[in-house]
This record gives sequence, structure tokens and C-alpha cells, in this order.
Amino acid sequence: MNYWIVDYDEMNELIAYGGFQNRYPHWRWGMQYDRQQKQGQFLGGKAFEIVNNDDPAHAFLQESNTLADQKAVITHVEAHADFFANNEWFGLFAENPDAAGMLARHGETIREYMQDPDIAREDVEQFIDHVLCLEDNIDQHKPYSPVQTVEERLEEIEGVDPAEQLENLDLSEEVRRQVFDEEWLEAQAPDGDNVTFPAEPEKDVLGFLRKHGKRYDEEAERAVEMTDWQTDLLELLRREAYYFAPQKMTKVMNEGWAAYWESLMMTGERFAGDDEFVLYADHMAQVLGSPGLNPYKLGLELWEYVENTENRREVVERLLRVDGISWRNFTDVVDFREIQDLLEPPEWLTDVVGHLEALDPDDPRVDAEALAAARAGDVDVEMYPWKVLSYEGMAQRHYSLLRPQFRGFLSRIGKSELERVSRYMFDDARYDSIEAALADVDYTRGWERMREIRESHNDVTFLDEFLTQEFVDDNDYFTYEYTHASGDYRVTSTDHEDVKKKLMLQFTNFGKPTIVVEDGNYRNRNELLLAHQYNGVMLNMSKATDVLKRVFELWGRPVNLLTIVKEFDDHDVEVARRRDREPEPREVGKRIEYDGSEVVIRDVDWTEVEHLAATDIDYSTKPDEWLA
Amino acid sequence: MGLKDDLERYREVGEERRQDLAEFIQYGDLGQSRGDEVRIPIKIIDLPSFEYDQRDKGGVGQGEGAQPGDPVGQPQPQPGDGDEDGEPGEKGGEHEYYEMDPEEFAQELDEQLGLDLEPKGKKVIEEMEGDYTDITRTGPSSTLDFERLFKQGLKRKLAMDFDEEYVREALKVDGWGPATVFEWAREKHMPVSKAWIDDAYDELDADEKATWDSIEEMEANVEMVDTPTRIRRDGIEQIPFRREDERYRYPEIIEEREKNVVVVNIRDVSGSMRQKKRELVERTFTPLDWYLTGKYDNAEFVYIAHDADAWEVDREEFFGIRSGGGTRISSAYELAAQKLEEEYPWSEWNRYVFAAGDSENSSNDTEERVIPLMEQIPANLHAYVETQPSGNAINATHAEEVERNFRDTENVAVAYVTSPEDVIDAIYEILSTEDQ
Repeated sequence: MNYWIVDYDEMNELIAYGGFQNRYPHWRWGMQYDRQQKQGQFLGGKAFEIVNNDDPAHAFLQESNTLADQKAVITHVEAHADFFANNEWFGLFAENPDAAGMLARHGETIREYMQDPDIAREDVEQFIDHVLCLEDNIDQHKPYSPVQTVEERLEEIEGVDPAEQLENLDLSEEVRRQVFDEEWLEAQAPDGDNVTFPAEPEKDVLGFLRKHGKRYDEEAERAVEMTDWQTDLLELLRREAYYFAPQKMTKVMNEGWAAYWESLMMTGERFAGDDEFVLYADHMAQVLGSPGLNPYKLGLELWEYVENTENRREVVERLLRVDGISWRNFTDVVDFREIQDLLEPPEWLTDVVGHLEALDPDDPRVDAEALAAARAGDVDVEMYPWKVLSYEGMAQRHYSLLRPQFRGFLSRIGKSELERVSRYMFDDARYDSIEAALADVDYTRGWERMREIRESHNDVTFLDEFLTQEFVDDNDYFTYEYTHASGDYRVTSTDHEDVKKKLMLQFTNFGKPTIVVEDGNYRNRNELLLAHQYNGVMLNMSKATDVLKRVFELWGRPVNLLTIVKEFDDHDVEVARRRDREPEPREVGKRIEYDGSEVVIRDVDWTEVEHLAATDIDYSTKPDEWLA
Repeated sequence: MGLKDDLERYREVGEERRQDLAEFIQYGDLGQSRGDEVRIPIKIIDLPSFEYDQRDKGGVGQGEGAQPGDPVGQPQPQPGDGDEDGEPGEKGGEHEYYEMDPEEFAQELDEQLGLDLEPKGKKVIEEMEGDYTDITRTGPSSTLDFERLFKQGLKRKLAMDFDEEYVREALKVDGWGPATVFEWAREKHMPVSKAWIDDAYDELDADEKATWDSIEEMEANVEMVDTPTRIRRDGIEQIPFRREDERYRYPEIIEEREKNVVVVNIRDVSGSMRQKKRELVERTFTPLDWYLTGKYDNAEFVYIAHDADAWEVDREEFFGIRSGGGTRISSAYELAAQKLEEEYPWSEWNRYVFAAGDSENSSNDTEERVIPLMEQIPANLHAYVETQPSGNAINATHAEEVERNFRDTENVAVAYVTSPEDVIDAIYEILSTEDQ
């Protein structure tokens, strides 16, 4: 990790550039800069830091941060860097991204094209705009691989060339002439009719356009091959889209992870001195207190929840193995206050400095080497008491179930969870006493689980797995929807299944609808057919139409988009309104067509879109009794 | 520095992307604007992408004690809104707006639609002294226009001036007397008087009187000097100021007439006016209000809702009201006539009377009551806007009857709006109709 101290303007620039010092010229960075500046100016919101995903990662800290801020920020960015390095989704792009170098090279390339007297600057700029409209239309769950060769394209369209295969068979000229003559070869070639590709719907729309896209030549009035600079640019922007995708996919996890470790070190290890504590608390409140659905807060709460449930599970598993304790009598038999006391770490773990001489170097919770150094005066234990502790020691020192705000967590365990835990438990009378059971508690289990999750999950799977009823209730989440009866947004549900459903919608596929390439030779006229995989929430049609016009610029021939929309009958809306009920929509298949000059939206037969409709999901959270 | 260029480019791009005014009127969110400030969304939020329909998507919020059915106000910012690269909480779903005042709005609409509505001044609110451009023959000496007096004097001088030496030489021609010289001088258009010649002749010495043998000889030897040359050479001894040339300046009296306008908005709120019709009325009336506010110095609005009866309402309620009951359009005109008569005299106010509805009216009301009332209410413009999304309804003939009756009248406009696309045409139709 490299650290940089930057001033206010530099910080705003870095934020505009997504955490890097050098990007290609584009107005959008200007827009972000402007916003960031206004944010600072009018809302008092200042950015403390920005860190980028690189090897080594670079962290930029704002000069004006107080010392307390700087400490907090450093713990925060260290955790981000850890996340970048260990989360598998980041590995999909590259093991070593060389991000700063790559982005700087991209900037250089694009700048050169813009300065090339043979290329109009506006053309380059517009082309970038077209591609950026599709920056989320990649297959972010697959590793990035550049589209390189012409053969790759041909293979996909035509399959493998039989003549070439014959060459490889090493047949005698005679056999070849007799059996595999020209006529035979011709018969093998695809007959040109109804060539449909890709074979499977392709989610990487950018990649597909890179392989098969053309440009419309105004003068020739037909599609021609893209120029070299265009294909070059398309691939380069696609690469950036793939590079940034994991960050977008793990925003909640990553911010939560950083907030978690920051809080642990700042508060738990007292990195914030006594005089700084108020400042730090203020900083924390500012970060976690921003309105709306805040990824820092949501992430932090989920991580704490993961840690607590895992730790609770460990404790409960131990307790259920005590002779005489079962899930049925658990809450009656177990005195949670007593458990809490028993879980308290030994005094030497909480007060390392006061017990330095008493520490046992052979205890797995002690780092023997560091202890020796501390005793020799080479480590300032007053300042860094944690240095003499091992991972196990730290885990017990910061055991989550003992933190004041989580003291009730253990006792809140429900019957059903107890039953679930005990269901797979054998050896259920291992311990004679509660004391004996708790002596075996593995205090690292919570952290271990967190580390596993940090490796393999993304926001979608994270929320799906860990957002529980308990979590939703504790945090007062609710869903809302637009209601036709009142003409505004209304709370629709506080049920956790509903909240989860809505949250998943916002995180799945960057919170955007899934669009795939269905056919690159639609109607056998080389038209492009995109399809919206409808999940019950319709597209913003005007934006979709705008994007389709951009797609035309990258395809060069007519483009189409199949989708499903909800239509409301005027009369139904009126009736529903009068009864204070919600009208029932009618789902209709639509095809937006754009041929370079005119947009046409047609109703299509349901059979054409039936395959796009997912029947097993329903994102609506309106109470049944609201429906007309 | 790269980012400075990016910022500049962003500003340029932003300017270009302000929502087209016509598009804004047809489909935009008019509700963000107030009467004195029109807010046009700027499409610089970002490039388009495939997104969910905001309304259909719904969202998740956080707050204690939320119950199904509670309103949540504007959707809360959601992760995934805007660009994910930045810090959280920094972007709401809010749009950016280009704000224009009604004057600018009117000007832009003029440009886009090619309108040239010139508001008329009506009520005299003030007489004031303008520039001192009017003149009179008498006045205090301080207001004497000396420049004019001097110029007139100079002109007079030039008109009276002649080459005295030259005429004197003519008197020295042998055998020529004052009478002959006077005749000669007059032929030469010299403004010399007989009295002057007589005096000059008397002053000549006797021996001088035969200096030249003939006039031809004199003319050949003496050159006449023209007036400008002589003035330049000798200067002016004296400018002949005359009393009759004196002029005194006094200030022009300007009548300040205020451009007052009263706009009466009438809307059918009866049961048949469903949501879509109401929206179309709002879409048509609101820009008209803005436009006229921008055009006139002082604009006042009267909102009249009617079913079978009419009553006055506030603007806030106007577009939302929905009543049961039948429809009698004349009720609104009766109220409008009364209101205008009492508060907005035609001599002082420009009047616009706009009515909208779905053309349904009780039988014979249009012919027997509304049309006579429209004829009786003096106004710059009467307009009826029919909002009928589904095309024609049976018995909905008010618009047609009005149109037929006023076919040859300059100040009545009828417009038909079946969808937002028609709004701009309707506005044009109305604003280009005014009786000039």
C-alpha cells in the first residue's frame, strides 16, 4: 500500500477519476468533479480518502484530515486493500491488475487518437459516449478476456472450416479428390440461410459488439467495418468496464469490511487517543449517518451480524453438548448472564500492559517473539499492546458477543435456530458442565467465517445469505412502491422477505435489468436482436430507446430490443383509484426497432417474449389486499 | 491539466443537453416549477443506460415504525443510482435543473414557435417627463437652445452675405450707376440691397468711377471670392441673431402604460374529466400561464372550476379537483364575466379567457348561453381547449360549435388535444390567434 497526502482539489480530482491520477479525456470526469466540489461546498461533505485497487494499492488521504481522521482512514483503506487482494471477484480481471499503468496507457492512446489530424475529436468523444452507455452490459461473472482475432469472429459465425480440417487430416491427394471434392465441400458450408448466432444468449454485449459490430457509413449508406481506432477504443473501454465491475459488485461488503476493521482498531484498540475519541466518533457518525440506504452502514451491520451469529452458534453448539441441555429446555436452563460472565476474557488479555510479566509465551494467544521483544523494551507495549498477542489472542480480546451493544444477542436466539443447530448434532452430552463447555469455545470462529465470506461472496450472495428477519427488524427497513391509488410512493411492507427481495433487485446485475444479445443475424438480415430478460420489473423505455440508438452506432445495421412492459387500462386505473386499490397491469411484449433514422415500438405476440419472462420471481411487495 | 479540460467540456455538453423546451412542455415534469421560476430538467445526469422503470422498481427505506400505506415522499437514494465509483450518500436521485424565469421562457418559446405576441399597454399608471426633446418659442432663458439659435444665425448670415469688394468694383465700371449694378448683381444672385449699393456708390471717389472701361474688363481682372473662402479668410464679425430664431426646449411628457394581463383559466371538473384529460389541461394551461407571465409586466390569474355550477379556486387546487355532477360551461363564463367586470376593467387590462374540457356540455348551453357570453366579454383572446384522449365522444360538440360560430372572428381560438404530442400545436394555435 502506498500512501499519498493530497490537497482538497487533488482529492476532488482523484474522486472524479475513480481513484486514479490519469484517465482518458472525457466530460464525465468533469461532471463528477463538479458534483464532488458542490458536495463539499454546499453539503459540507468532504472526502477523507480514496483508495484504488492495484498492486500495490494506492491510498490518497486528504491533507486537512485531523490526526484522528488520518488514523481512521488508514485503518479503513488497509481493510479495503485486503479486500481487493483476497476477494475472488477481483481475481476475474487479473491477478495483478497493474491498474494505474493500464488506465494511464488507455488515456495516452485515446489522447493520441483525439490529436490525430485524420480523426475528428468529436467522433472519438461520441464513440466513447456510445460505449459508456453499455459499460454495465458485460458478463461480470466471467473472467475478462480480450477479444483479439478475426478468426474468433468467424468461428462463432460459421463454425469450423471443413477445408481446413481436411488439411489437418493428412489425406492423400487421391482420396481427397475422389471423396472430398469441391461439391462435397460446398455442401458442408453453411447454406447461408438462418445462420443464428450466438448459440446461447450473450450477456457481454460490449464483447459481442467488439467481435461483430460495424459502423454505418453515411456516404456509402451501408454498414462498413469499424476503423482501427474504433475497435481499439471499444476493447479498451470494455477492459475498464471489467476492471471496475468487481468494485461495483462488492460495494456493500467492501465498505462494511473496511468500516468493521476501522471501528475495531480505532475503538477496540484505542487507536484514537482519549482526546481524539470525540473527533473520531464524529467522523464515524458522518460516514455512517448519511441518508438513504448507506453501503457503509448496511455492510457494517451485516458483517457484525455474520460475526455475532457465527460466534453465537459456536457458543450454542458447545452448550447443547452439555449433558442435560437440549434445544427444548435451552432458554430455561441457561442463565445468559452467567454465560456472558464466563465468556469474559482473562484479565491479562484485556490489560496486556499490566500483566506483561505474567504473560505465558506458550499460550497460543500470545506472540512469543513479540513478547520477548516487549520485555526487552524493543516493543512499546504501552502504545501497541496488541503486538504481543496472536490472532487467537486478538479474537478473544475483541470477542463480539461481549461488546456492550451486542450483549443481548446471545439471549435473543430463537427456538427454531436452536432446533436447527441441534438437529445435526451428535455427541450431545460431551460436557458435564457449562464451564467445561465454554472453556472449549473457539473465539476465532466469527472472524474465520468473515474471512471465508470475504473471499468468495459478492453483494448479491452476501445479502441473500445474511439478511435475516432479525436484521431487518433491528434496522427498521421497509419497502416502498409507487401506488396508483395515491399517485405517490407508499410503504408497502416491513416483512424481511420483501425487504430482501427489493434489496436483491438493487444489487443484482448492478441494479440494472439484464440485457442479452439473442441474435446477430436477426430476420436473416444481419440485424441485431437484444432481449431484456424480464423479471417482473419493466424497463425505463425512454432510456432504453436512447441506448438502442447508441447501439446502432456500434452495430451499423438495424437494432432491435425485445421486452415486456406493463400496461394499465385507463378505466381500471380510475376504478382502482376510486376504491383505493391498485390496478392490475397487463403484460405486453414489445419490440423497439431502430434503423438509424426512426424508432418504432411494436406490440409483439406473447409467444415471442414468453421465454424472457421469469415466472418464479416477483419483486412486487404490495400487500395482497391492496390489489383490485 | 486534464481535468480542467474535462470540466470545460462537461459545461459545454451540459448546455447542449438542456431539455428541449417543446419536449419539456409535452412530457416534462411541470410540477417542479413555480409561477415565478420555470425549472427545466437538464439531461446531464449521465449517459443513458438500460435501467428499470423507476416507478415499477420501488425501493427500500429505513425508518422506525413504518406502516404499509404510509407515504414516503420522494424515493430515497438507492445504491446503484448514479455512478457507483464515488462515495456513498453523495448522490441522491435528484435531477439537475436549468432554471429560467418566465421572461426567458417566453422568449425561448417565441423563438421556438415563431410567435410574436406584442403585449399592449393598457392602463396609464404615470405621466412623467422624458427627454427635453420638444421645443417652444418662449421659455426661461436657461432652456434657450443656443446651438440652434447660433446655427440659424449663421445660416442667415450666409444667406445675406456677398462679396462687397466685388460689387464695389462693379460700381467703378465706366458709365455704370447703382441701378445698373443692382440689376447686374441680382442676375448674379448676389443678395445685395439697392440701399447698400446707393451708399457704396456715394462713398466712391469721383475719379474711381471710371476705373474699368467695361464690365467685361472688370470681371476679367477681379475675381469674385465666395462666401466660405471669405469667412475663412476674414472671420465673422458678427452673427445676426434674431428673436424669431430663438427656441426654448421643454421635456416630453411620457405616458407610462402598464402591460397588465389577467388570465382566466376555466376548467371542467365534472365526472367525465378523468385523470388523462386533467393532465392534458395542465400541460396546456401551465405553459400558457408562464408565457403570459413572462410577456406582461403584471399578470394575474383567475381560476374557475365548474361542473353545472362554477366557483373560483386557487391554483394549487385547480388541476386536481374532481367533482361529480353534470356540465354547464356557461356557468363559468357568467362567473368570469362578473369577475372581469368588477376587478379587471377592459380599459385597463389585457384579458385572456382560456377554457378547457372534453367538449361535453348540457344541451343548447353552448349555443344559447356560452357563445353570447363569449361575444359579450371583451378580451384579447378567448380560447377553448378540448382534451379528449380517446378522440371524439358522442354529444361532445362544444368545441366544434364554438369554432363554427367564431370562424370569422379574430380573437377566438379552438384547439384539440388528444395526447401530449398535441400540446405544442395547441399552444401555438392559441398564442398566434390574438386579435392584434
